Amino acid sequence: MISFNLQMKRSEFRLDAAGEFGSGITAVFGPSGAGKSSLLDCLAGSVRPDSGYVQMDETTWYSSLDKVWVTPENRRVGTVYQDGALFPHLDVKSNIEFGWKLIPEHKRQLDPLELADFMGLSNLMSRGPSTLSGGERQRVAIARSLATMPRLLLLDEPLASLDTARRGSILNYLKRVHAEFDIPMIYVSHSISEVVAISSSAMMLEAGKVVGFDHPTALLPYASKSETIDKFENIFDGVIGSSTDYLTKVEVNGVEISTGRQSKCMGERVMVSLGANQIILAAERPENISARNIIKGKVVETWSNLGKVFVHVDAGPKFIVELTENALKDLGILIGCDVFLVFKSSSVAVFDT
Amino acid sequence: MMYDIPIVALSLQVAFVATGLTLPIGLITAWLLVRKNFRGKFLLDVFVSLPLALPPVVVGYVLLWLVGTHGWVGQISHGLFGSTVAFTWFAAVLASSVVSFPLVVRSFTVALAGVDPKLEVAAKGLGAGSLRTFLTVTLPLAQRGVIAGVLLGFVRALSEFGATIIVAGNIPGRTQTVPTAIFTRISSGDTNSAWRLALVSLVLGVIALAVHNWLLNRPRSFDSSGLDRSNGPPS
Repeated sequence: MISFNLQMKRSEFRLDAAGEFGSGITAVFGPSGAGKSSLLDCLAGSVRPDSGYVQMDETTWYSSLDKVWVTPENRRVGTVYQDGALFPHLDVKSNIEFGWKLIPEHKRQLDPLELADFMGLSNLMSRGPSTLSGGERQRVAIARSLATMPRLLLLDEPLASLDTARRGSILNYLKRVHAEFDIPMIYVSHSISEVVAISSSAMMLEAGKVVGFDHPTALLPYASKSETIDKFENIFDGVIGSSTDYLTKVEVNGVEISTGRQSKCMGERVMVSLGANQIILAAERPENISARNIIKGKVVETWSNLGKVFVHVDAGPKFIVELTENALKDLGILIGCDVFLVFKSSSVAVFDT
Repeated sequence: MMYDIPIVALSLQVAFVATGLTLPIGLITAWLLVRKNFRGKFLLDVFVSLPLALPPVVVGYVLLWLVGTHGWVGQISHGLFGSTVAFTWFAAVLASSVVSFPLVVRSFTVALAGVDPKLEVAAKGLGAGSLRTFLTVTLPLAQRGVIAGVLLGFVRALSEFGATIIVAGNIPGRTQTVPTAIFTRISSGDTNSAWRLALVSLVLGVIALAVHNWLLNRPRSFDSSGLDRSNGPPS
């Protein structure tokens, strides 16, 4: 567990944040300039705050009161940056082994080759970083950090420079890493979609202050205020099911979602994404409709902002649906109501994991 | 011809030792200027470049005063070794070092500034201390500029005249270097042998500058093999 209380002033910007993160994946979320990266820098030790403390389990990393300061190289905090920050003069193998080689031999717990295999990098080991795709770079960066068995893994917008198709893949690798290695992770993002898809709790920052710390979906109302929710994507893990000539079914948490025809085998794991504004809500089951997906669910929560309404519907997987204020009023939707989610198969994007 | 060999040898010796001195000191100075913020950084920057703005004769005169029996450097060395370094070959090394120092530091500064500081932060996060980070990440990435700076310093040291003749003198067989020997020969009207040494200077200078330019223009080994800097957008 990591707990902190940090104050830092840099010209116009002021960070004043406190919190306690457990062993799961915690998201730090907020618009750009909110202080997310500054918070990470203070936790990693690359920036020294003005006052406060950082406590990792039994170890004090920083305390202005007791004048404690642990340098970054002695904290064992792994950081994965937006662009990977791979060493350009070293090949993939040497990148992964960089930190591992610095660990005394008897303390090394992981085999970098197995780690490379786990991250799907085995056939890239002799390549240079510039020949890698964005997704491959991020996987090397993750493997490089993991090889040092960090006590904490910081992910600073790891998906921001990737195209949509690669994002699902990295998200899934991160989930697998967390399941396999049990390292607490802090995931920084300005995208609430990613935060909802990956984290178990989320802290929202705005202008250097904590404005919310809760279950990620509970932060959706805050997020909608800061306009970062603009294009919310529902992101789910799924498994390819049966296919017809033009459609493929993907099973997500007990619900079958129809998508365009996929060239994947049955049983293959995928990620699906669906824009919150692509879903129609119906109070009754619609008949004779072209949309291929009609899914029954229950309204858990609604909140509104500037004429837009976000409805949280539990249908097995939890969907976020964006409506207009008028539509909500006309439908008479209340919390606890049964509703039907309607969307086209072509609105659903399917990604490799 | 035979008289020329010891002169060229001494010149090379002086230039090599001067380069060996300016390399580590120059790296530390450049690193301070590029990566650190401290009080008096502006003054250090000015002080480093000062020899560039002064006539070498003035540099030599200041050095002579420092290493002479009345200067504090001279007093220390007198106390330690019983003599001062003035008018020895090591005085020529000092003169060459000081005069070439600004060029060396400038090259190093540009080279180090081209290394993404985020890579250094990443190395520290992986457990590398400051020195290891510098040696395994910063220096390899700044390598070309550093070697270019070393060569530039070497060339400057080889051609040093004004400061050298003041602080080391022009003693045949002891402190006479190629430039001071040429001066002597021109003064005494010995034009043939003066031209011969001038030719030697030319050849040495051309070789060093050619290597310098080749290093700066050559694609880096990790550019062609795809090992390149990942210039992602700043976060």
